[in-house]
Amino acid sequence: MKKEKVVAMLLAGGQGTRLKSLTKNVAKPAVPFGGKYRIIDFPLSNAANSGITDIGILTQYKPFLLNEHIGIGSHWDFDRNAGGLRILSPFAGEAGGRWYQGTANAIYENMNFIDHVNPNYVLILSGDHIYKMDYKKMLDYHIEKQAHCTISVIQVPWDEASRFGIMDTDEFGRITEFAEKPEKPKSNLASMGIYIFNWDALKAYLEKDVKNPDSSNDFGKDIIPTMLADKNNMYAYTFEGYWKDVGTVRSYWEANMDLLSDDNELNLYCREWRIFTKNRNLPPQYVTDQAVVKNSMINEGCIIDGHLEKSILFSEVRVDKGAKVYNSVILSGAIIEEGAKVCNAVVMEGVRVKKGEVIGEENGEHVYLVSKEEIIKD
Amino acid sequence: MDNCMGIISFSNDLDKNFGTLCNHRPASMLPVGGRYRLIDFFLSNMVNHEISTIGVFTGTKIRSVMDHIGSGKPWDLNRRFKGLFVFPPLYDDHTAKSVGNIHLFHSNESFFSNSTEENIFICNTSMLYRADLEAAYDYFKETDADVTLIYIKVNDPGGRFINCDKISIKEDGRLDHLGTNLGTEENFNLFLGSVFIKKSVYLKIVRDAIEKGTANYLKEALMNNRRKFKFNTFEHLGHVESIRNIKNYFDANMSLLDSDVYKEIFASHGTVYTKTKDEPSTFYRDDAKVSNSLVANGCILDGNIQNSIIFRGVKVGKNAIVKNSILMQKAVIEDNAVIVNAIVDKFTRIEKTSYKKSTPK
Repeated sequence: MKKEKVVAMLLAGGQGTRLKSLTKNVAKPAVPFGGKYRIIDFPLSNAANSGITDIGILTQYKPFLLNEHIGIGSHWDFDRNAGGLRILSPFAGEAGGRWYQGTANAIYENMNFIDHVNPNYVLILSGDHIYKMDYKKMLDYHIEKQAHCTISVIQVPWDEASRFGIMDTDEFGRITEFAEKPEKPKSNLASMGIYIFNWDALKAYLEKDVKNPDSSNDFGKDIIPTMLADKNNMYAYTFEGYWKDVGTVRSYWEANMDLLSDDNELNLYCREWRIFTKNRNLPPQYVTDQAVVKNSMINEGCIIDGHLEKSILFSEVRVDKGAKVYNSVILSGAIIEEGAKVCNAVVMEGVRVKKGEVIGEENGEHVYLVSKEEIIKD
Repeated sequence: MDNCMGIISFSNDLDKNFGTLCNHRPASMLPVGGRYRLIDFFLSNMVNHEISTIGVFTGTKIRSVMDHIGSGKPWDLNRRFKGLFVFPPLYDDHTAKSVGNIHLFHSNESFFSNSTEENIFICNTSMLYRADLEAAYDYFKETDADVTLIYIKVNDPGGRFINCDKISIKEDGRLDHLGTNLGTEENFNLFLGSVFIKKSVYLKIVRDAIEKGTANYLKEALMNNRRKFKFNTFEHLGHVESIRNIKNYFDANMSLLDSDVYKEIFASHGTVYTKTKDEPSTFYRDDAKVSNSLVANGCILDGNIQNSIIFRGVKVGKNAIVKNSILMQKAVIEDNAVIVNAIVDKFTRIEKTSYKKSTPK
């Protein structure tokens, strides 16, 4: 990618309030997913696998764990002599300090950084989504179409379309209309929150946007509509494959459960597009002769003595003798004691489900989020 | 443990006992416990006890060593100062002899004399254990010994430790003799092959052995001097496995299925670090029946697995049976295949027509 220099800007400051206790101490991108990952591992690994070498991570909400997880990016080979990963947190200037006010504002505040890297293109990513995507292909498309801006879109079911930012395109993929959460959607192509801009074009619009007091400084609400109104070359790049926004506890639980079906499209076991993460170097899992394990994913350091079905266990989970775990996601370090039963639940880090305790119903409708303080029903 | 450097010296002497397992790797690089190599336990133990200069004498099968250890990053040994030093043999070393390792220690004398540490910890990788090096090192310093040997008291009616090193100790804790265990005694002191030694004494002993031609091995040179310097002993308490041939290599792996041994080997004295592989979690399919087994990440299991050690990225197909076996990294057991009492090496594919059953020697 020498000729087309690209810098990726990963927005990782989101709080994700609807995830409730899951984001009590961490930003949404740092929420654990899929047995050993955190959500941000997906865009980070995608960027690494796409050959991107310059990446800025914009953090804001409770960044400590996220910063610790990312470090200097060595797990994604972003620890480089030239370029590499930088964590960009809000900072103070001559006029005092400012928080990032919106997605576009976060980029605006870091214009100096982007100018310093001096790219032709800026790739805007969100740290909230789970998917595998080759950004290089999207960039090739952007260059081929000679676009000013390319937005990655995915086909969503028509009845859900009104929850997304919807693109209407002509036969060449050029965006003719953009509507944020429309009541009557004209198409079912939803924005995935992944944009490629020509840097000079984006820079001009960011500077214009910041001067507009009515703007909410958001890509979807402000920058994209304004650029479209000015008749810029804007194209939709259709992505096919697994893409999930885990906005709520239920969708978080579902997305994890998706991994247990044989035909799941994410396919974590694919060697060609690996997802990298911080490695804790824990010993292998130990399954005793009492244990029953069916249709489950288990990570290192677990000790399984009980009954496990359709569940995902993160690292160092202990399931004691006679304990039963069904349709559940158990995060690192949780202990399910003897005879306890956990169904349709997300059990958070370090929670101890006490001897004989029962959480959830086997064929129940509800999903339960179990933290040290409380159990939330969704 | 400042002021102490660590040495791991591979010997290829035992390789012949492991058949094809050691065609391309030295015995010190044998896979152990689902995701480790034997050397990981020693490197990790030293690093966890804050030894920050570690020299590795690789022996002749270097490829496997370089691939695994690399820059030493998994052990935080990729340092600007100190860190990991790897010493492959010289291609045509005029000082080399056909037997022994003393010339290796001699030809790398500058590594020892240039380092700032005044003490050396030398370990032997044919034993698997997690030692409290801190306590041993304190004892070595407090007693102002020139050499401290680490040993364990064993009761061995079954002869597990035959041909291992046995030491006799005087009443004051000093070393008396070091010899080979022929199995004549049930209770004896097993030498673990690990010693602390003052660098000044080490340099004298190695030079002396070369000049006088009195020893081929470092161990031999040390023993020749046991009356001249102060040699004492430190008792290790814990679990020890000797890995000298296929049979006890197999047993050592199986011993990890005991939860007490698992806890001691994996959890005492800090994490055991190894080269990580970014494997996803292990997937147990609907028909998987796994019991009493150690399973690493990245596996996809659909068969019947019992009393086995499953390394990273192994696939076991439907209705396959794996019993009392070690399946190394990326082994594939196809549907309906049966593996009993076997060691399956890396990348091996067992097809459905195969039926492997043997009684280990």
